[in-house]
Amino acid sequence: MSQSITLLAVFEGMEPAAEGIEKLHDLGLNDDEMNVISGIPVKGSILGRPSAITYVSRIGMFGAILGMSFGIFLIYGIPYLYPLLVGGQPIFPVPQGLIITFEMTMLGLMGFAFIGMFVDSGFPSYTPKEYVSEISDGKIAVLFSCPDNDQKKFVDVLIKSGAQSVAPAEARQL
Amino acid sequence: MTTNLELPVFTNSSEEELGGKWGMVIDQDICTGCQACVAACSMENNVPFVGEEDAGYGRSMHWIRIERLWDSTSFPGIKMTSYQPVMCQQCHNAPCEPVCPVYASVHSMSEDTNLQVYNRCVGTRYCANNCPYQVRVFNWRDYTDARNTKLNPGLAVLQNQLNPDVTVRRRGVMEKCTFCIQRIHKAEDKAKSEGREVQDGEFTSACAQACPASAITFGRIDDPNSEVSLAAVAQRGSHLLEELGTLPRVTYLAGGV
Amino acid sequence: MATYAKPLSRPKPHTEEHEDPREMLMHDPLPRGKMNEMVMESMHETSWKFWGVTGFLVFVVLTCLVYAWYRLIMDGLGIAGVNRPVFWGIFLVDVVFWIGISHAGTFISAILRVLKVESRRPFTRAAELMTTFGLVQAGFSVFMHMGRVWLAYWMAPIPNERMIWPNFHSPLMWDFMAISTYLLCSTMYLFLPLIPDMAMARDRTQEGWLKTFYKILALGFRGTEGEWKNLTTAMNLFAFAIIPVMFSVHTIVSWDFAMASRPGWASTVFGPYFVIGALHSGMAAVAIVLFLLRSTMKHYKYFIRPEHFNTIGMLMFLVSMAWAYFYLNDYIVPWYGGNKWDKIVQEFAEKGPLAPLWYIMLFCNIVVPWAVLWNKKWRSTPWLLAITGFFINIGMWLERYIIIPEGLTINRMPFTWRLYFPGVEVALTIGMFALFFLLYMLASRIIPLIPVWEVQEGQESHMLRKIGKAEIPTLSDLE
Repeated sequence: MSQSITLLAVFEGMEPAAEGIEKLHDLGLNDDEMNVISGIPVKGSILGRPSAITYVSRIGMFGAILGMSFGIFLIYGIPYLYPLLVGGQPIFPVPQGLIITFEMTMLGLMGFAFIGMFVDSGFPSYTPKEYVSEISDGKIAVLFSCPDNDQKKFVDVLIKSGAQSVAPAEARQL
Repeated sequence: MTTNLELPVFTNSSEEELGGKWGMVIDQDICTGCQACVAACSMENNVPFVGEEDAGYGRSMHWIRIERLWDSTSFPGIKMTSYQPVMCQQCHNAPCEPVCPVYASVHSMSEDTNLQVYNRCVGTRYCANNCPYQVRVFNWRDYTDARNTKLNPGLAVLQNQLNPDVTVRRRGVMEKCTFCIQRIHKAEDKAKSEGREVQDGEFTSACAQACPASAITFGRIDDPNSEVSLAAVAQRGSHLLEELGTLPRVTYLAGGV
Repeated sequence: MATYAKPLSRPKPHTEEHEDPREMLMHDPLPRGKMNEMVMESMHETSWKFWGVTGFLVFVVLTCLVYAWYRLIMDGLGIAGVNRPVFWGIFLVDVVFWIGISHAGTFISAILRVLKVESRRPFTRAAELMTTFGLVQAGFSVFMHMGRVWLAYWMAPIPNERMIWPNFHSPLMWDFMAISTYLLCSTMYLFLPLIPDMAMARDRTQEGWLKTFYKILALGFRGTEGEWKNLTTAMNLFAFAIIPVMFSVHTIVSWDFAMASRPGWASTVFGPYFVIGALHSGMAAVAIVLFLLRSTMKHYKYFIRPEHFNTIGMLMFLVSMAWAYFYLNDYIVPWYGGNKWDKIVQEFAEKGPLAPLWYIMLFCNIVVPWAVLWNKKWRSTPWLLAITGFFINIGMWLERYIIIPEGLTINRMPFTWRLYFPGVEVALTIGMFALFFLLYMLASRIIPLIPVWEVQEGQESHMLRKIGKAEIPTLSDLE
């Protein structure tokens, strides 16, 4: 196995980036070996790549189930453990059950989706990362790894196809 | 931790008849509106004096009030209705109970009255808004704080007349008529220690005791032979705001024509 | 004769007949670096007048809110104007009012996002901040009205050695659950789209405490595909899920009143009535806030344009018609066949000593919006829309005043009827308004009020397509 090096190619916009990624495919790179960094969300198919997998919805659903169980415990479990009579209403009321269960289910759904986003993206993370600040100004960066020997070939192909710069990626403190 | 699996079925539809344990009958034909019951209740239950300004603004804290209403106000036919003493009706389906967020207003299963738990109340006052009879009162200030001499210069001396059987409430807490539950408990304790039931007429509430015309009768309504049960079945009897379905424990005997 | 064609409009030069689509923000893109710079500049550059107003607001907050609340806790509710039978007064009016204002934020950032209304893009964050700050004031009002506020934690369902739990039969506990859910979820929903803007701000700030603040809040965001996918999935999930929560929150607040068996309060229409009322006052408040932002923040005239005021104005118009419909329902039904107590409550509101408030409310809530908002040109005028919004908010505050203290004056025991005269509540209300604006002004210094990445995303998706002789704006779904 030869040494591989991580390069960061910066493109003007979505069209040049799509071109560049096609060239990288031609040079033999898999989609897994590339990562695209952009300032606004870009659909995978625009760049000719599959879209990323996210677990946020699944974590959210799990949270919704937790929330629903908590709501049911609040409205039915507690009066079962500590019953108190109030105003001619049954000990296990149905309308209050609907309300509290609904609220707690939604809280669980959204709270866990929020946490899921953190967990799935690895937030918060303050270690040095490969990044250039021009990305928030509209550039699109492609982070990829290629064999060390072929570095010059990759750089030439990308510059010719329209990349603004291709350089070894340095992890810097964000 | 024990769980009582024998939970009573406690729903609105089942208890249309007047059940319960402690009740009251007020004869509006006899009531003279003398306010002796108001004074006696305030003394028995440590109801605070709120001062002239607050009383003028509707914050007086009497647990029982005598209502005077006018049937017609145009001369020469000016006519007043009978005096109407109103205190907590101890509703079986009390609207004040389900709305308290902290269970400070609950229903007593043994006495079948409505309990106000002073040390649990956080003062949201929803129970007072929901009471159709408006019998609940709130401690707006520290009326009973002996340091609060600005409100009432003689307050330190007045501490001597407090009834030791009844707690003194601090500010931020709701209170209302309890059917003199301290007297109920005292009588029940005495009866239990002697191994018997409480006899009718053994004790009575402060308002009934003070009324010079004996317009208020208090006692066991689950005993069909008690004085209060016999009075309650009179043809003149009715309940306040009966259409609301609160099933109150106080029967009013209509005044003379 | 050859044809009976209808005469066409008076001939004008073709280009003048139609609006120039380049006036719209989505069709007027600037280089993204420049837009980022404009947003950063608007945060850091301000005049002495800003700090003057901030200082004044701090003074008002310290006297009217902090000191008055201290007195309220030490002396008790006696210094407020509540009595028997009006046990709830202006504090509850403020609770409902601020929760109403907070609904606009969710409406704009969730409902308009789900409906893909593109002109929402520049002001979603400003509206979401209104939600968060409005809920803060509502929470304060709830604590202010409690008799023993130091025991407020008893309303939380946490295990304790007293072995007693809160009473979920009570609408106040549903309130507690619903408002906590709503506050947490809308704060999370405020934070999610903020992350990429925090990353942008982090990249453009020199070292210092502000850069550390941005760095922490940006969580190490770079913009990789995985991060964007997670972020947009979470945002879409929130947008759909927070809409039913928003409806349920104000419905539950309305049930504080509707569940009580009181004349004038036990109305089955209160649920949707309060929700629409909340949207009414909320959208009006958004109009005021956007007008203030546009006139005082540097570069905001680029981001917030008359087209956005037009969108908000149309929504205000629609909601004011819905509100009039609900008000008619709430009024005409008891008037027609209602029991005597409902009629007495209504008569007291319309003909009693406080009747002028009722007429002012109708004027502010219906006459003013209907007179102004039908005209597109007037809707697009920022100051006119802000004034209309101001009137609507006065009307909605009065509407809650009529329901709560005036509704409590009348009950089924006429011997207890009594009027309400506010005491310290006036100072505390003023303090809360001052705090709302103060929080907003401080927030404008440290977080960008324009979600600039969303504006940029929108500008990428919009283009002008030549069809025949005209340039037609088109929108593509880039995501």
